Amino acid sequence: MIARRLAVIIGAAALMLAACADGADEQAAPPADDQPVRGGILVAAIDSDPGHFNPAITTSGATHTGSELIYNGLVELDDNLEPQPELAESWDVENDGALYRFHLRDGVKWHDGQPFSSADIKFTFDELLPQHSRTKASVLATLQSIDTPNEQTVEFRFKEPYAPLLLQLNVTEAPILPRHIYQGTDPRTNPANLKPVGTGPFTLKSYTPDSQIELAANENYFKPDQPYLDGVVMRIIPERGNQMVALESGEVDWVFGVPGPDLSRLRDSGRYDFLTTGINPGGSNCIMTVSFNLDRPMFGDVRVRRAIGQALDRQQFLERVQFGQGRVAEAPISSGIPFAHAEGLQGMPTFDRAAAAQLLDEAGWRQDGDGTRVAGNVAGVPDGTALAFDFLVYPTFTSYGDLLRAQLAEVGIEVRLRQLEPPVFADTVFSNRDFDTNIISYCNGADPEIGVKRMYVSSSIGPVPFSNAAGYRNPDVDRLFDESRITVKGDARTPIYRQIQEQLVRDLPYLWIVETDSVRAFSRNCSGFSPSGHFAAAAFCRQ
Amino acid sequence: MFASANWLTRPEAPGSAVAGWRRLTSRTPGVAGAVTALVVLSMGALAPLLAPTDPSAVDGPSLAPPSRAFPMGTDALGRDVLSGVIYGARTSLIVAGGVGVIALLTGAAVGLLSGYRGAWVDDALMRITEMFQVLPRFFLALVVIAFFGPGLDRLVLVLGLTSWPLLARVVRAEVLTLRHREFVDAARVYGASSARIVLREILPNVLPSAIALLGLVVAQAILIEASLGFLGLSDPNMISWGAMASQAQQFLRVAWWLSLFPGLAILVTVLGLNLVGNAMTNASVGRR
Amino acid sequence: MNGSHSHYLIRRAGQFIPTIAAILLIGFLLIQLAPGDPVLALAGDNGDAQYYADMRARFGLDEPLPVQLAKYAGNLVTGDLGTSYMQGRPVAEIIAERLPATVLLTASALLISALVGVAVGVYAATRHNRLGDHVVTATTLAVYAAPVFLLGQLAILVLALRTGWFPVQGMTDPRGDTTSLRAGIDVAHHLALPMLVLAAQEVAAVAQITRAGMVNELGSDHVRTARAKGVTERVVLTRHALRRVLPSVVTVLGERVGHLVAGAVVVEAVFGWPGIGRLLVTAMQSRDIPIVMGVFLIVAVTVVIANLLTDLLYVKLDPRVRLG
Repeated sequence: MIARRLAVIIGAAALMLAACADGADEQAAPPADDQPVRGGILVAAIDSDPGHFNPAITTSGATHTGSELIYNGLVELDDNLEPQPELAESWDVENDGALYRFHLRDGVKWHDGQPFSSADIKFTFDELLPQHSRTKASVLATLQSIDTPNEQTVEFRFKEPYAPLLLQLNVTEAPILPRHIYQGTDPRTNPANLKPVGTGPFTLKSYTPDSQIELAANENYFKPDQPYLDGVVMRIIPERGNQMVALESGEVDWVFGVPGPDLSRLRDSGRYDFLTTGINPGGSNCIMTVSFNLDRPMFGDVRVRRAIGQALDRQQFLERVQFGQGRVAEAPISSGIPFAHAEGLQGMPTFDRAAAAQLLDEAGWRQDGDGTRVAGNVAGVPDGTALAFDFLVYPTFTSYGDLLRAQLAEVGIEVRLRQLEPPVFADTVFSNRDFDTNIISYCNGADPEIGVKRMYVSSSIGPVPFSNAAGYRNPDVDRLFDESRITVKGDARTPIYRQIQEQLVRDLPYLWIVETDSVRAFSRNCSGFSPSGHFAAAAFCRQ
Repeated sequence: MFASANWLTRPEAPGSAVAGWRRLTSRTPGVAGAVTALVVLSMGALAPLLAPTDPSAVDGPSLAPPSRAFPMGTDALGRDVLSGVIYGARTSLIVAGGVGVIALLTGAAVGLLSGYRGAWVDDALMRITEMFQVLPRFFLALVVIAFFGPGLDRLVLVLGLTSWPLLARVVRAEVLTLRHREFVDAARVYGASSARIVLREILPNVLPSAIALLGLVVAQAILIEASLGFLGLSDPNMISWGAMASQAQQFLRVAWWLSLFPGLAILVTVLGLNLVGNAMTNASVGRR
Repeated sequence: MNGSHSHYLIRRAGQFIPTIAAILLIGFLLIQLAPGDPVLALAGDNGDAQYYADMRARFGLDEPLPVQLAKYAGNLVTGDLGTSYMQGRPVAEIIAERLPATVLLTASALLISALVGVAVGVYAATRHNRLGDHVVTATTLAVYAAPVFLLGQLAILVLALRTGWFPVQGMTDPRGDTTSLRAGIDVAHHLALPMLVLAAQEVAAVAQITRAGMVNELGSDHVRTARAKGVTERVVLTRHALRRVLPSVVTVLGERVGHLVAGAVVVEAVFGWPGIGRLLVTAMQSRDIPIVMGVFLIVAVTVVIANLLTDLLYVKLDPRVRLG
C-alpha cells in the first residue's frame, strides 16, 4: 500500500525533474526554411511600460517599442537604410530637394474603417509632430509648407533644399496618425492614446498596464500577405536577467537586447538566432558621448579635455560595460552612416596615461602630496583648486560613471557621480546647464542631419533636450553644417562631413566613447524579423 | 505595542540551578550577537585598513567567481566584491550611528518629559508618539528621496526622526517607576530642580533599557537603507550593500556571488544587532 | 463590553482622524519644503505651462498657506490625488488599476503567515528547549534578519532557475488561457514564490511570538489546572493556551502591516509583480511625484486603519486586557 504510493510519488517526481531539466544537450532545431507560415502568437519581452500609444508626440523608446507596429510612416527604411514604399507608393524630388512629392497608396484604411488620405499626413506634421523633438528640430525647422493637391498626393516644400527628408519619414521619426480622431483635441490627453487607431500591421487588442500589451493582426493591412502572425504579445519585464529566463523557458520568443554575459550561453544552446543592430526604437546609430560643459573654466583649456580623453581606456568600456556589443568610436559620426563617417580619422584621443599626465602638468594641473591634481596658474581657476568635477548619468548608465571614475582616478582626477532620472537629467543639463560633465547616448540617426547636427551647431544651444550639451560654438562648423544640409548629392556631402569631424577632434567639445549595438535574440522557430520598429511585420513562427 | 519589541524574548524560568544555567546559555546568543555586530560595524570604521584593494578599482577580471585572489569574486567592471562589502559596512555604520543617536535623543527626551511631567503633557506626547509609531517609515523615506534626491544625510534624518516612538515608551515606563523611588524623593527634599533630578538621577537609570532597544531600532534602519539601495535610491557616491545587490540582479544567473555576499553581510549584521538587543532587553527586564 | 472598553474604543477611534490629519500635514509640509517651486515638486518636472497653471489652481499654490492646506486636504478627502502628467490620467485611477495585484499578494501573504506562523510557534512551544525548538528559533531569527531581496533572489536561484518549478516573473503566462479556472491556476502559480518570500519574515515574527506566548501559557496555573482536571492535551493547547496567545499574534500582525507593504515593494521589484510597488518604483524613476505622493498617502492611511482594526480586535479577543 504505502510502497505503491511511494513509488507513484517518486515516479512523478522523477518525471517532473526530467521535464524541467536543463535542455543544454538538446538537438538544435532544424534550420528554418524561408517559406512564411501563417498563424501563431509571438511573445516579445520589452523593458518598460509604454505609458501610452502615441509615438508622434514623444521620442521615448518605451512608447515607440510598444506602439510602432500599430502605425506606418510614409516610407520604411530597409537594412541598408534605403527608403522603401510604405504609405507612399512613389515619390519625386524636385528643385534639387526643395520639393518632395509623394504619391500615396490607394485604398488604405484606418483600423476603425475610415479611409486614409493626404489630410492625415498634413495634420500629423502640422499638429502632432512638433512634439517629436528630433523631427521638430530638423524637418520642421526648415519646412515651409505641406500641400495636399488631392487625397492621394502630398507635397513637402522647403525654404531651401533639404537632403535628408527621405530618411526621416519612417514610423520611428514620423508616424502618421488619424486626423479624424485627433483633430481639435489635446493630443496629450486624447483617449485614443490608450485605444490607438492606426494603419499598421497590428491593432491593439488589450493593454494591461505594467504587465502586457496584446496586439492582433490587422486583417485589412495594405500589404495583402502581411502580417503572417495572428498576434504579438509584448510582455513588460523590466529586468534583463528575467527576460533571459523567460526566453530560455520558452515564455517569450523574442528579446530586444541580450546582456553580454548571457550571450555565449544562448549561442551554445543552439536554440536561438540573433540580430545585431545599431537601430533601436529610441534612435539608431547611438554613440555613448561624454560632454564637457564648456562654460566651466576648468574645461577651458583643450589640453585638459584631451588629457581626460587620453586617460580613458575606451576598449575597457566596450568590454566591461557593453560586453563587446558595439565598437570603440573612431570618429564623431557613427560608422553606421558610411558616407559621413570619417574613415581613418587622425586626432581622436588615444589611451595613454603618461601622455595624459603630462598634458595635465603642462596645463597647470599638478599632482600634490596625496595624488590629487590642483590648479596652478590656470586661467579662471583659483590656485589650489582640485581637479574634481561631477558627472551626470542616467541610472541605467551608472556603470559608465563607475568605470570613468576609476580610470580618471589613476591620473589624479576626482569624479563625483550624480544619478538623475531622464526628465530631471534633461532639465538639469539643457535648461539649467548645471553640470560639469555628463554622458549621453546621442543617437545619430540615419543621416547626420537627424542626430549629429544638433550636438554641434551654436543655434542648438538651449533648453531643448539632447541638443548641444557642451555649448560648443564654432562658426566654421556652423557654416559647414549649413552647406551639408542643402547638398543633396550623397557623395558631395562626404568631404564636408570629413572637414567637420577633423575640426571636432581638434576642439574636443565631447569625448566619443563607444558605438552601441544591441543583440536581439529570438527562438529558432521564428524568422522574418527586421531591426526596425516594424520588427514583426513580416515575421512568422513555426509551431 | 510593547509586545512586538519583545517578541524575541524568551520567558525566564523560575529561580533554580536549572534556571541559572538557562540564564547563562541564554546569554550566549546575546554575546555572540554583540560580537558579530561589533565586528561588522568596526569593519566599516577600519575599511581603508582592511580592504584588500580600493573598492572602485577596476583591475580584476570581469565577473570572476570567488578565488584566492578575490575571495568574494568580482563584478562586471572587475571590482573586488570583498572590498566592496567592507566599505559597505561603513555606510551601514553611518546609518546605525546616525539613526541610533537621533532616535535615542528624541526618544529619551520625549519619554523623560512624558513620564516625569505626567498629566496633559504625558497625554499629548503619548498621542504624538502613537502617531509617529504608525507612520510607515519606508514610504516616508521614499517620499523624502523623491523630493530631495538620494543622500545618506536625509535618509538618516528621516529614519532617526521616525524610529524613536518605541524608545520613548520604554523610557517613559522606566521613568514612571522611578519617579517616586527613594533617591528621587531624597533629591527633591534637598531642593534639586526638576531638570537636575531628571538628568542626574533618572536618566542614568533609564538609559540601559533605552539602549537595549536601540539594537533593534538600528537593525531596522539598516534593513530599510538596504532596501532603498536595492531599489536604486541610495547615494551613488557611497558603496551600499543594497545597491550592490541591486546591480547583481541582472547577473543572477551567471554570478551568484554578487547577490549572496552583500545579502549575507546584511543578514549577519542585522542578526547580531537583533540578538544583542534581545539579550539586553532580557537583562533589563530580569533586573527589575 | 464594559464601560472602560467602549471608552477605550471611542478614544482609539477618535485618534484616527488626527492621525490621518497628521499624515496629510506631513505630506503637505514636504511639498512646501522641497527645493524649488512647489508646483514642480507636486507635479514633476515634465509638465508644460498649461499643466502647471492647472495644478496651481487646483492646489491653490499662489494663495496663503492655510488656504493651500485646506484645498490640499479637501482634494484628498474627495479622492482627488492629482493627475499624473506622464500618463495624462488621474492618479487615483492609475493606483486603482494596480492595487488589486498588491492586495492579492499582501493579503495572501498575511493569511499564510498567520496560519503557518502560529502552527510553527505552537510546534516549537511543545518542543520547548529541545532540538525542534532550537531549530525553529535559529531559522526564524535568520529569516527575520535577512533583507527581503536576498530571500527573493535565493528563492529565484533555487526554486525557479535550478528546478523550473515556478515562473520567475509576472502575474500571468503571456500565452495563457483566459478561461477562468486555468487563469486562476496560472495566477496562483505565479503568486507562489513572491507570496512565500513576502510571508517568510512575517512567519518568523508570528512564530516567535506564538512560541513565547505559548511557553508562558503552558507553564501557567490555568493550564496546570486544566491538565489536572484531565483535559486532553489537544484541547489544552487550543482552547486554553492558544486562545490566550492569539491577541498578541493579532497585534503583531497588525503592527507589521507597514513592514508587509514595504516588503511588497521590494518583492514586486524582484519578481516583476505588477502592483503598486512596481508603480511606485517606476514613478520614483520618472519623477512622477503625484503618483509617489498618492501611493504614500494610501499606504499610510491603510496602515493607520490596520492598526485601529487590530487594536479593536485585540480588545474583543482578550477579555483580560486592562484599559486606561
